[in-house]
Amino acid sequence: MTTATLAHPATHGAHEHSEPTGWKKYLWSLDHKIIGIQYLFTSLLFLFVGGGLALLLRWQLAYPSTQVMPNGDIGNPASLAFINPQFYNSLFTMHATVMVFLVVMPLLIGAFGNYLIPLKIGAGDMAFPLINELSYWVYVLSGAVLMSSFLVAGGAAAGGWTSYAPLSSVAAYNGTQMGQSLWCVGIFLNGLASIMGAFNYITTIVNMRAPGMSFFRMPLAVWSLFITAFLLLLAVPVLSAAAAMLFLDLNSGTNFFNPAHGGQPLLWQHLFWFFGHPEVYIMILPAMGMVSDILSIFSRKPIFGYKAMVFAMIAIGFLGFIVWGHHMFVSGMNLVLSAAFGVSTMVIAVPSAIKTFNWLGTLWGGSIRFTTAMLNALSFVLMFVVGGLSGIFMASTPVDIFVHHTYFIVAHIHYVLFGGSIFGIFAAIYTWYPKMFGRMMDETLGKVHFAFTFIFFNLCFFPMHNVGLGGMMRRIADPTAYEHLRSLQPINQFITLAAIGLGFSQIIFLWNFFRSLKYGAPAGNNPWQATTLEWMVASPPGHGNFAVTPTVYRGPYDYSVPGHKRDYIMQNEPDAPDAPLGAPRSTVSVG
Amino acid sequence: MRIPLSRLHLLAITLLGLAISGAQAEIRETSVWWLPRNVNMFGHTVDFLFYVILILTGVTFIGVFSVLVYFLVKYRSRPGVAALHSHGNNTLEVVWTTIPVFIFLGLAIYGNEQWTQMRLKTPPADALPVAVIGEQFGWNVRYPGPDGKLAKMEASKVNKDNPLIDSSDPAGLDDFTTYGELVFPVNRPIRLYLGSKDVIHAFYVPEFRLYQDMVPGRIYDFVWLKAEATGKFQLACNQLCGQGHYKMFGKLTVSTVPEYEAWAKSKAPSPAVTAVVPPSPVAMNQK
Repeated sequence: MTTATLAHPATHGAHEHSEPTGWKKYLWSLDHKIIGIQYLFTSLLFLFVGGGLALLLRWQLAYPSTQVMPNGDIGNPASLAFINPQFYNSLFTMHATVMVFLVVMPLLIGAFGNYLIPLKIGAGDMAFPLINELSYWVYVLSGAVLMSSFLVAGGAAAGGWTSYAPLSSVAAYNGTQMGQSLWCVGIFLNGLASIMGAFNYITTIVNMRAPGMSFFRMPLAVWSLFITAFLLLLAVPVLSAAAAMLFLDLNSGTNFFNPAHGGQPLLWQHLFWFFGHPEVYIMILPAMGMVSDILSIFSRKPIFGYKAMVFAMIAIGFLGFIVWGHHMFVSGMNLVLSAAFGVSTMVIAVPSAIKTFNWLGTLWGGSIRFTTAMLNALSFVLMFVVGGLSGIFMASTPVDIFVHHTYFIVAHIHYVLFGGSIFGIFAAIYTWYPKMFGRMMDETLGKVHFAFTFIFFNLCFFPMHNVGLGGMMRRIADPTAYEHLRSLQPINQFITLAAIGLGFSQIIFLWNFFRSLKYGAPAGNNPWQATTLEWMVASPPGHGNFAVTPTVYRGPYDYSVPGHKRDYIMQNEPDAPDAPLGAPRSTVSVG
Repeated sequence: MRIPLSRLHLLAITLLGLAISGAQAEIRETSVWWLPRNVNMFGHTVDFLFYVILILTGVTFIGVFSVLVYFLVKYRSRPGVAALHSHGNNTLEVVWTTIPVFIFLGLAIYGNEQWTQMRLKTPPADALPVAVIGEQFGWNVRYPGPDGKLAKMEASKVNKDNPLIDSSDPAGLDDFTTYGELVFPVNRPIRLYLGSKDVIHAFYVPEFRLYQDMVPGRIYDFVWLKAEATGKFQLACNQLCGQGHYKMFGKLTVSTVPEYEAWAKSKAPSPAVTAVVPPSPVAMNQK
């Protein structure tokens, strides 16, 4: 199928709009690949912003008496000299907000969702290219609004990323009316961008698959993004509505959440967590899907239990909507409700377990190539297991009550979101970078980056379990203010040093990333000898992706098929030259 | 329900070899990498469940980790050795779906049973009632006087000066108050009445394995405890409540009964709660 690799075909199906060139391409292109790369660069930028905020947090926690942090209120020079607890509260609020809304979601869904979906299903572009581009710019706007809130009087929002009312909803309580209001606006805009992306993805996947690309021939990366898009579509509007209500409470005299005037603080918690728990899966499912593909590529084996993997993700999607109450056990929940949420929370662990076993099954009997991408994918599996297992403590109500607001949960969420999602993202970047930019990233630098990241990540986040069990609360600006926490201070300092190491390790990644743009070895169409459709076209693919719409003859994981001359068969390769279109192919099942 | 120190419980603790000595009587001063000692009768259940889950998850992790490492070594790419072409195995899928279902459901049901018993077990009649009302950034504490009764608590009565007290209730005339200071007599059930004047606070004492959110507009009257050892502890607000959140702590002392009684006698009834407070100017719309 080498005829399909023309860089810029003169005509291609639905692509009638002209493509801007040069720098304009990165402003106004409607090409899903360019938009994906725009998302990639912007969210990597925010990754470093969020990481910087985290290092400031860690500095303060380890050495609270050094009094070096500038005040959030830049307009007040007198406050530059000493620690301001309000600024500390802004720091952790914005660290989480940036990482969730401006980094992990846009990286997984904006960057890789955009880049991979049309290429992997054999489509020329997204169903709605203009809305796609609009989604990106609204996302940039939401980031700008959230960043600008550091500059307003009172500083950025300081009520935690969960923004529990009435602290968040009454200006007199939070002292950050402007910052909190901008937070609401930023979250609302960000939600708008997500919703636009979500229905675009769903429409594209449902309607624009190449001939022969049945649902059960889609790679798991596409399945995961498909399911994630539904979660976004159902969960994000709830958060947007809640943010709008919070904005009105702050600025227009409504009292949705203020009990002093008849409002209900728990309403906020229900709305927030109805979004917030599906959000957890929104931030992990696409990584699961991409990692599944990567494990299969570098094990040279079909994914183990493909359909089980699909159904497990669908189950996670459904169950994700009925577990939100476990975030609220501590608020004094009715026993029947806490029983129901406790059971549903335990049950949602089952599909995650299924996925883990199937990943192991994929490795079994493989011919494993330890590329940088594979190392990151493997540590995704391992770190996700740790994060998943530590979640079981929280599903058990009596234990949850004790550990819920300690560093134990901070450790848990970082094992899932950094150990899981971020390692998944690194794996995806190392895998698809050659496709995106036509050049390979340096493997040696990549492995050094991986080793440092893996080691420092664990040194940083594992001891948080211990300080949490030791009783250290989250969200306190100065642990040494508590007599009973002073004995934990050496661990806090150790964690901070590890965090600094983790932060600096990323310089290797940046160096590799930007250097390889120019000096990387040329990638060729299919550097990993993979099977899915994006690897049949040039790297980077031309505008419109496919000169001729490909026809799909087989599932996405035909690796190491016995009797075949290569150890991979691409999805667009027919069994025989005269094989009928989309003919079912017998697969081997080992019993 | 209090779990007796069963053999399994002991085994769990010994196996891990991580239980920290319960000899500390004062606020912890040495490095603590693990659960602090537990002094609350309900804490045994929490710790027991914690260790059950720790063993289950620990064994699972070691299993997954070992299999992963074994596969990575055994199935590393070698020249001339092709990978197996396998799309899966339905029997295995059924097995590794069913087993976790039973384990997780069992855990959920057992944990819920323990929680229900902790929550439904009503405090004994002789429990000492203590009201703790959070505000930005401190704790209003109220103890009953000689009559052993607290003034009735009414969420709708809250305002800037009134920590949720029905000031017309004569039972409150002899109540005494402290700010940020709690003393519990050892081995006597304590029934807490928790509330908040402004934002959500949380009552958290790690050595009591006790955490309860205090959402404004509500009174939490189901939390009770029994301290099994004396000592000095720190009460901390554990729900972000604003600028001063990080230093919203209180002193908590568990003392012997005579010490407690001497302390209580030294406190004069608090005039702030002795009747004739004019009706609250801020009308609340609480049900």
